[in-house]
Amino acid sequence: MSDMSFHLGEGSVRIEFDEGLYPKDAIYGAAYVFIDRCWVHLDRAGDRRIQVTLKAKKAGADTQAYAGEFQNELLGQAWRLRIVEENKKLVETITARALGGAAGPPGLDELLAMDIGEETAFEDPLGIAMSWEEKYKKKGKAEAGGGSDGASGGEKAS
Amino acid sequence: MIELRFHEELYDGFAIDEAVKTYAAYATAELSRDGGAYVVKVTAKPEATSEGIDERVLSAELANYALGLTIEKARAAGGAA
Repeated sequence: MSDMSFHLGEGSVRIEFDEGLYPKDAIYGAAYVFIDRCWVHLDRAGDRRIQVTLKAKKAGADTQAYAGEFQNELLGQAWRLRIVEENKKLVETITARALGGAAGPPGLDELLAMDIGEETAFEDPLGIAMSWEEKYKKKGKAEAGGGSDGASGGEKAS
Repeated sequence: MIELRFHEELYDGFAIDEAVKTYAAYATAELSRDGGAYVVKVTAKPEATSEGIDERVLSAELANYALGLTIEKARAAGGAA
């Protein structure tokens, strides 16, 4: 059996397809688009098959065209859902960052609530807290264990 | 009387209840459940039929309304885009 089939009736069309082919939200989305033009009914037609019946509200409407349009809409809705799913994480990240930025710098309460302990408070991986003398002292002198004039600050940076 | 059957996996029970309430001025409805489906037996009120409202159209509109609400509820719950 084909994945999708349709049967024309008198002023109505019945479309059947495999449930695994399109997510339920896509079926709902497509049905919602037709709700103003047609009476739409959803049902199960056996195991894992969905049946959509479209009955035109206006007499003499082209139901075959409705069937084709519904299938196109279904495909469009499924594709849109996939894009949303793929970009969900990115949208969440951007929104979180935007909200975080809008909140401004942390207040006193937030600072107090931060987990700053003995070990984390003085972590300095970039060496920013290091003194100028410590950072630029000559290696030879440091190794010699002198330091008598190193602390005076009279060294020249090479 | 027209019998409408709504599959439980595809229609929201609360949406059907709401649809029945919305059309209560035009029709009386009898609700029940049968084999995984919500069954609604719709009978147009004499006032409605005297105004020229067709019972089939009324039932179809009620079913459409129930589907619309089901979809809106699913979207509100975070289902569809």
